Amino acid sequence: MIRLLRQPGNARLAGVFMLALFMLSLAGCASTPSLSPEAARTLPQQTLLDDVPFHGQRDYQCGPASLAMALGASGVSIDVDTLIPQVFLPDREGSVQPEMLATVRRHGRIAFPLEGSFEALLAELDAGHPVVVMQNLSLPLWPVWHYAVAIGYDRPAEEMILHSGTTPKQRVAFNRFDATWARSDRWAFVALPPGDLPAGGDVDSAIQAITDFESVQGAEAALPAWNALAERHPRSAMTRFAQGNARYATGDEDGAIIAFRAATHADTELAPAWLNLGLLFKAQGNIERARHALEQAATLPGPWQSRAQEELASLEQGEESPR
Amino acid sequence: MKRLSRLLSPLLIAALVIGSLPAVAAAPNSELVGTAAVLDASTIQQDREHIRDVLAREDVQRQLQLQGVDADEVQARVAALSDAEVSEMADRLDQMPAGASVVGALFAVFVILLVTDILGLTSVYPFTR
Repeated sequence: MIRLLRQPGNARLAGVFMLALFMLSLAGCASTPSLSPEAARTLPQQTLLDDVPFHGQRDYQCGPASLAMALGASGVSIDVDTLIPQVFLPDREGSVQPEMLATVRRHGRIAFPLEGSFEALLAELDAGHPVVVMQNLSLPLWPVWHYAVAIGYDRPAEEMILHSGTTPKQRVAFNRFDATWARSDRWAFVALPPGDLPAGGDVDSAIQAITDFESVQGAEAALPAWNALAERHPRSAMTRFAQGNARYATGDEDGAIIAFRAATHADTELAPAWLNLGLLFKAQGNIERARHALEQAATLPGPWQSRAQEELASLEQGEESPR
Repeated sequence: MKRLSRLLSPLLIAALVIGSLPAVAAAPNSELVGTAAVLDASTIQQDREHIRDVLAREDVQRQLQLQGVDADEVQARVAALSDAEVSEMADRLDQMPAGASVVGALFAVFVILLVTDILGLTSVYPFTR
């Protein structure tokens, strides 16, 4: 170091520090992430999810390791070696975000992406959900991407507690954690069994997460999640609609009718709900109700209007010329 | 592989187009409208979207294989992705963040990251914690 200072490298070193300052101005100041007054009041001072299993990573396999921990905490015990061929990209020496979510689905758990705020993260931890976070431990110019599992926090000490890399229960200062997390746009998700819901987040993103799960694991596996979401958001028409579809797919026609009806009550302009309701009534031979529902669907413009009109026409035809 | 997909793609497209026709033309069936169909529904072009999705899935499968994923894993991995995720990966898998690039080859980079580590902006070197 001393030798360096004496030499013409002096100027170079100065340049390096100038660049460092420049990078700092790019990166913004490291300030402690703040909580809204509401959250500051209601969130407990500290939380630690002690029962989240730790799986150490080898090489660059922080993705599979983080998944093994999150899945393990949700009741799917699986080891890192099983997950590596499912989520690791050998040539990239890493795992990409969509595949992290997809692998959760493959193991019968629903991946709910979080909205990406410090407060939402603490709220999930408070609800007992470990959170997989993506960090860039370095600067944007030389990224070091990393997945870790947040398992707790300590507000008085201003520290996050993470299962990260080869270190269980690593404590990282709030501001350092938030600076590294912010570089992934605060990407985070929780992996939950169907029937459990994240503590926060809007209903639309939950609907999307459960639908994605349903298309991999089927309606029967997804039904508890729809039921839970419908219970939390009884006025969400799309939720009741999805619940109706899942009930129908599992053979519960009466339950499906109840759910579709609830959907049309919540949103009288949700054409596919009217359409499905009409189709079910029609299949049950309840012509009056079928006609009423299909008429509603047929008056609403959109991609299902023509189907509704055809169904309505065939209903009338069937009535005029009974076999 | 390439020849195979060149052979398969037109067949697949034809199958999808034909498969989608009866829903419009044929006698009413009692099949309900699915949840995913409604969520994706900016859809006068739903069938075209569907074909695009199938091709994107093929594309992602090929890319994953190129990145060193086992051939017998590739299909199951792609099957677990949602349509939106598949099209995102088909478009920009190369730019997606994954793993670590080699840090510290340059002395300057080392110094800068050391400084930012000490300032609590980064978390590259364990000994600064």
